[in-house]
Amino acid sequence: MDERISVIRLRGVLLITMPANPDDSTVTVLQEHALKVMEASSDRGVILDISAVETLDSFFARTVVETAAMVSLMGGETVIVGMRPSVAITASQLGFTLGNVLTALDLDRALDLLADPSRERHRG
Amino acid sequence: MTSVAQGEVPIQDESHIVTVRTTVRDAASRMGFGITDVTRIVTAASELARNVFRYAGVGVMRWRALDDGGANGIELVFVDHGPGIADIELALREGFSSARGMGMGLPGSRRLMDDFDIQSTVGQGTTVTIRKWLRR
Repeated sequence: MDERISVIRLRGVLLITMPANPDDSTVTVLQEHALKVMEASSDRGVILDISAVETLDSFFARTVVETAAMVSLMGGETVIVGMRPSVAITASQLGFTLGNVLTALDLDRALDLLADPSRERHRG
Repeated sequence: MTSVAQGEVPIQDESHIVTVRTTVRDAASRMGFGITDVTRIVTAASELARNVFRYAGVGVMRWRALDDGGANGIELVFVDHGPGIADIELALREGFSSARGMGMGLPGSRRLMDDFDIQSTVGQGTTVTIRKWLRR
């Protein structure tokens, strides 16, 4: 486990915070760890905080989308939180989308999304 | 064009993709690019550095500041002596994905930059040159 990734259990949700400039193996570890914890717990889902992330390239984005799909197969949901405007602009120009991954502006709204499945969803 | 600042980063293992990102972020910020352009440049650099590492294993990224009298900009050149690309048109096509799913790198970084040039010879290697100009 890369010590720069912070993982916190919060109200039945796994909160993963990514470092600003993760290398590929850190991104891969994020995926493995999220799935391991999902398997071992009854967590409702994963909140991935990328507010520190300065560069979201296609490898990172693909891993996030894959992880969300796997969490979903395990019965949970993934919410991406805190994408910087510059990162969002670049990601959209680069040509990728986050598919069906839920997104939220901040942690508060992300927790609301996972707490109340009937709430209106904002899909990224 | 005269060059006022330059440098290079060897790409030999995965961690050097991160070194490329930090070096390019630092250089582009010091040249006065705004946060969104810095993010575009760094993201394009990250895609191309990963291509070098994944496909060629070893290569180098050279950067330099450009000053052609009227305009300032940054130029990044990614050089490898890997397998090369047989069909550049195909590699640049939107949505084309190679066997390892890395296909977004070339068309994506072309969209993020102002200038994009690729030279590749099968069996000899690939050189990708990208530029971004400062808007005034």
